[in-house]
Amino acid sequence: MSSVAVARPLRQPALRPAAAPRRHLEVVPTRAQRRARPRMLPALVTIGGIGVILVAQLLLSIVIADGAYQIASLQSAKHDAELQQHALSEQLDLLASPQHLAANAEALGMVASGSAVYLDARTGAVSGAGSADGGSMLGSGDQVGNVLLTGTALVTPSSTGSGNTTTTSTTTDANGDSQSSTDAGTGGAGQDPQTPGLLPSPTTH
Amino acid sequence: MTTLRSSRRRLSLTVVAVFAIVGVFVIRLVDIQLVQAAQLTQAADSRQLRTVTTYGVRGNIVDSKGVVLADSVDRFDITASPKNAVAANGTDGFTRVNKDGTKSHVSLTDAIDEISQVTGIDSQTLTAALTKDPSSDFAYLVRAVKLSVFNKVKALHIPWVYSEPHPARTYPNGALAGNLVGFIGTDGPLAGTEFKQNPCLAGKNGTSTFETSADGVRLPGSTVVVKPATDGGTITLTIDSNLQWFAQQILAQQVQATGSDWGTAMVVRVGDGHIMADADYPTIDPNDLNSAARDATGARSFSSPYEPGSIMKPATVAGLVDKGLVTATTHVDVPSRFTDGLPAGSYIKDSFPHGDMHMTVAGVIMNSSNIGIAELTKLESEKDRYANLRAFGFGSDTTVNFLGESSGAVASPGSVDAITTVTQQFGQGMSATSAQIASMYQALGNDGKKVPLTLIASCQAADGAVSYPNSGPTTQVVSPFAAQQVRQMMETVTTQGYLHNQITIPGYRIAAKTGTAQVADGNGKYGSDYIVSVAGLVPADKPQYAVIVTLAKPDTIKTSAAAAPGYATIMKQVIKTFRIQPSSTPAPNTPVAW
Repeated sequence: MSSVAVARPLRQPALRPAAAPRRHLEVVPTRAQRRARPRMLPALVTIGGIGVILVAQLLLSIVIADGAYQIASLQSAKHDAELQQHALSEQLDLLASPQHLAANAEALGMVASGSAVYLDARTGAVSGAGSADGGSMLGSGDQVGNVLLTGTALVTPSSTGSGNTTTTSTTTDANGDSQSSTDAGTGGAGQDPQTPGLLPSPTTH
Repeated sequence: MTTLRSSRRRLSLTVVAVFAIVGVFVIRLVDIQLVQAAQLTQAADSRQLRTVTTYGVRGNIVDSKGVVLADSVDRFDITASPKNAVAANGTDGFTRVNKDGTKSHVSLTDAIDEISQVTGIDSQTLTAALTKDPSSDFAYLVRAVKLSVFNKVKALHIPWVYSEPHPARTYPNGALAGNLVGFIGTDGPLAGTEFKQNPCLAGKNGTSTFETSADGVRLPGSTVVVKPATDGGTITLTIDSNLQWFAQQILAQQVQATGSDWGTAMVVRVGDGHIMADADYPTIDPNDLNSAARDATGARSFSSPYEPGSIMKPATVAGLVDKGLVTATTHVDVPSRFTDGLPAGSYIKDSFPHGDMHMTVAGVIMNSSNIGIAELTKLESEKDRYANLRAFGFGSDTTVNFLGESSGAVASPGSVDAITTVTQQFGQGMSATSAQIASMYQALGNDGKKVPLTLIASCQAADGAVSYPNSGPTTQVVSPFAAQQVRQMMETVTTQGYLHNQITIPGYRIAAKTGTAQVADGNGKYGSDYIVSVAGLVPADKPQYAVIVTLAKPDTIKTSAAAAPGYATIMKQVIKTFRIQPSSTPAPNTPVAW
């Protein structure tokens, strides 16, 4: 009798039952210990903050130093402007002196007024006796000297527009068009061609 | 036990060492901070501290409307370093970088020519200034140039040219009020208000210190003001510059037309004694100290007393009316000569020959009768007459306290002969300045109340504090009635006097008085010269302004008629300037004879 040995397939070995995870034990820090532990974020913030402050300080001092130069240059500009202002007001005071005004007024053909007549607006009464004009104030010339005015040009009707560079005026013709006196200097010496003999004056309505 | 001892020893050693080191530091600290402190600070300061002078600006002098009469201005001295200009090795000149970036060589002569061109100083003068001491580091090239010139010189970028500020004074209105404003010399104020009011006007220079960086820029926040500069105060005069100009112009024309030696014209506001105009001719332009002779550099109206003559008569009469001795219509017998009480052979006469005349007191004023005044002096004691003149301000300085002011002279009782005690009642044998006369007319115009004559209205310090000059007391010299009576008498001069054609102004009642005073020839006698004057109060019924014009030693007309045209013109201008309304009532018809 022959017998065949038959191997029995082994069953899939049964898996070892999964071991329960080993319990991790550690020493729980006390609250005090937890608090004492170095923390990253605040450290970074602090160091970063210090860095930012240093950089800011550096930038600030650069800006301040730069500002010092700016202040220095502005102060000198202010000083120059003040000097300019003084010089111009000095010139203005000179041009406003009675000697200069009187000479200019007479050069333009003006004469002193006569005595004044008063009108009482309430009663309509006129008081005072009018008189002829007072004529030339300067007469034989300006007797109140001012050496500073030496060489100062007068504004005369013939000088406006006749190419005299020291005085300029703007005339307005009948159409209301403003024209520079230098343009009008061809014939009528700056006067309105339609009313020769009159001083240039703006048209008013 | 051994370990313990050794550790103790180490500890004490350490402690000793620490203390020793700390001790060394402390000693060094004390050395630096206390012992050497001063010199170390000084050394540091000298490296980076700069001290600059800050200038206090001298205050302006302005008129009553704020018109600038004296102005502090910026001028610049152009200086140079000859040492750098003329190089030692003979190579002169420098390289200039032009605006377009190109470079050009500028030789010394080129540079001098350029400076000469912009400053107008000829190049020889500049060369001389540079070569005078070639080793020097400092020389003045041009002094006191204006800003425009200074900017042009600066634009030349010449490396050896430097500049200094040069504060200067300018008078934009020239000779206008030059007599009152005064002027400044190289070493300070010399005349007029500039001199007298210097304590108010002068600024004080200060210093400030700051640190600089290596390139000279001021370090931020480092300025230390060691001593602040204070600007001077502004002096406001009472004058009206337009009227002042007019008065000077007219006065000058009149002085020239009559061939007078000099003249004064004064306009005083009656209510407060403010001098609205005080013209002198000749007078100085303070911008040009050579523009007038030495005796014309001040204000004659304050400094030159003269025998005023008949213009004094209203003062004498006002005193008599005040004591109730006369009124405008009191009768006076005026003989052809006055001899009462005078030494034998002496007599007082009138300017026109006449027999016995019957005048009222108003007539004495209208005719300007010396005999009439002499007769009236008999009514009053010598002491009272003298006191009356003194009360009007004669014989003492005015309250203006002007530089070089004269108080004139009034003879006190008993100090002079019998003639002078009488003649000084009509302005001969005594002396007064134009300002004193103006003050007298102010009192008559102000109903007998004499207010201090004022030229300096105020001093405003730079911080805004305003101070007013000390002025004298207001005094009632004569009663309002006396003043009014005298004005009424003076109106007859305008309506009936010998100059009425010239001094009447239509529509206005004006109280006026003329004066034709003989001038002593210096030998105790009167010569052929006269000082003539006209004074007036407008309007006569309620005076607002007093006008006094005086001409000294006219050649063409030797009576007050010489002063009349100038007086009338200025009076008309006063009326126009101050808008004085025409009188509503006619002048009273005061009898002048009986």
